[in-house]
Amino acid sequence: MSALKRKRGGKGPGGKAKKVKLVENGNKPQTTETKQNKEISVPAPVSMGKWRNKERVLVFSSRGINFRTRHLMQDLRTMMPHTKADTKMDRKDKLFVINEVCEIKNCNKCIFFEAKKKQDLYMWVANVPHGPSAKFLVQNVHTLAELKMTGNCLKGSRPLLSFDPQFDKEPHYALLKELFIQTFSTPQYHPRSQPFVDHVFTFTVTDNRIWFRNYQIIEEDASMVEIGPRFVLNLIKIFQGSFGGPTLFENPHFESPNTHRRLIRMATASKLREKQMVKELQKLKRTENKEEVTRDVTDDVFATPAEERPVHIELEAPAAKVVKKNKHKAFKRQRMQKR
Amino acid sequence: MIVVNNTMDINEDDEQLGETSEEDNSELSDGELQDAFAKGLLKPGLNFTTQEPKKIVNNVEGLKQCLADFRKNTLPWVERLDMVNLPADDIVAKSEGRLDNKASGDLNPDDDFQREMFFYRQAQAAVLEAMPRLQKLKIATKRPEDYFAEMAKSDQQMQKIRKKLIMKQTMMEKSEKAKKLREQRKYGKKVQVEVIQKRQKEKKAMMSAVKKYQKGMTDKLDFLEGDQKTAKGGAPAKGGAGKGAGGQTPDKKAMNKKGPNAKRKYKDQRFGFGGKKSGTKWNTKDSHNDVSGFRAKVAHGKGGKGGKGGKAGPGGKGGRGPAKGGTKRPGKNARKKMKGRS
Repeated sequence: MSALKRKRGGKGPGGKAKKVKLVENGNKPQTTETKQNKEISVPAPVSMGKWRNKERVLVFSSRGINFRTRHLMQDLRTMMPHTKADTKMDRKDKLFVINEVCEIKNCNKCIFFEAKKKQDLYMWVANVPHGPSAKFLVQNVHTLAELKMTGNCLKGSRPLLSFDPQFDKEPHYALLKELFIQTFSTPQYHPRSQPFVDHVFTFTVTDNRIWFRNYQIIEEDASMVEIGPRFVLNLIKIFQGSFGGPTLFENPHFESPNTHRRLIRMATASKLREKQMVKELQKLKRTENKEEVTRDVTDDVFATPAEERPVHIELEAPAAKVVKKNKHKAFKRQRMQKR
Repeated sequence: MIVVNNTMDINEDDEQLGETSEEDNSELSDGELQDAFAKGLLKPGLNFTTQEPKKIVNNVEGLKQCLADFRKNTLPWVERLDMVNLPADDIVAKSEGRLDNKASGDLNPDDDFQREMFFYRQAQAAVLEAMPRLQKLKIATKRPEDYFAEMAKSDQQMQKIRKKLIMKQTMMEKSEKAKKLREQRKYGKKVQVEVIQKRQKEKKAMMSAVKKYQKGMTDKLDFLEGDQKTAKGGAPAKGGAGKGAGGQTPDKKAMNKKGPNAKRKYKDQRFGFGGKKSGTKWNTKDSHNDVSGFRAKVAHGKGGKGGKGGKAGPGGKGGRGPAKGGTKRPGKNARKKMKGRS
């Protein structure tokens, strides 16, 4: 396979012979110096002119994101070579401004990260001009840099996408599946892509959430290692338009993070309140007038049918017992001899 | 009369309240309330304010329509590379005979290991299914050995990962070793304690037996033979019973019979015959009577009496004694040289 790397920001297919980009850790392809002429020209790669699927994804965020989100964004840009970056959007702008930004950048998909209260992370995945968009709450984010994820893959290699069968069962999941496929799959012959397929993205529906994982394919017999990143998406709403429009679907199982925190606080507060109430009740009980019990109900428990003996009070101490020492035992020697 | 859907801050379940009349806006005036009562919208009794049950949007037709519009049917599979699959068979569960629950609905999201294994198997199934398809389309999944290109994680990162893995492994090994050592020490200590206790018991028994005899309580002297009997009687009986403290003693007796330790033997060999050092060079009766070292020639000597039986002293030493050739023992220097050589 002689897929030579192209220089970034190149003119795309149909251009002239380009200089080869310097690759890390490696030897330059040998064809650079073999030409006879003074100028070094590299023949165009075999796949030139074949890039048809023009998908471009704009990945950016709002202000107020924390380091984990920032790394997650960078990781997504690393994993998907068909992405473009943009500066942070001001929170004051309305969301439909994003459509214009995408148009300027000539992108037809968008992944937008929104951070609220420096705690909650929301992710929008949208097909920009007309298409549907979806808003998710992102949880359990682990980035590429975590040391427990030991796999590695080529930068810009095309992923295999794997979906749970649940995605075909419900219409909203089917729509989401289509959206994910178009957003996450790298177009074939994309100039920044590598021709090998060496990692898999898996999307699974569990617990009413979508779990995302990325595995590296080591062997042909499907032994794998996780590369990362990994996150969990909790669907909130699906809109018919891009960043707006009528709501097509609302997730009934979704509980907003504010509500969740509120519930926790209320639970602890109610426990405390209950304790206090119990204490007050006890106080009341102690201070209230208690009725005197004249008759003891347990009086006749020990009533025995026999007649009473007269009470005899002894005024003198009883006689002391005479203690006899060793009255039974013979000498030990004699005892032994008897045996 | 406008019945307003009021969302007051009361999160009460609507099903619990049986009132059908709803949404009393507190800003409604009395007159309006009376009108509503007259019309029959309000029933007598205490009216609670409730919320209308929240309508959750699920526009199935809209979704389907949107999907139809959105789907790019011109894209061949090779552009998208998507698969839908259940996880691959769980070999471990099958070998244990458990039924593996295939659907993701059965998955318990809190059981981390099970969940991750589920995802792993799903990825595996996808790869297994996709391999032949990719091979047909001539897309490679294995990169050749000499293909160097930028990787998603830098070399530095991979080095860090490797270091961490190695460290983990070594720590585990160390802890394993330490555990084993602790176990061994404990066991050794246990055995030692048992042996000491046994010895003390035996000593006590022996002493009491002796005392009994002294005091005249028993006139049999079987306690002297008692040890041998118990050893012989104990060995076949206890040998059958198995290992443990009981099994140790016949073994030990056997070992004692074989003689000193290998270590002891080696030390004897190396450092000379150990044991009593102080009195070894004194004469005993036997050594005095032992005349095997007597050489008549040497004793009577050739010429002067310079040998064993004769006068020692400066005379003999001054004249260098009899001819040196007669004596078989080489001189001190010669002996030293010989020693160094061997």
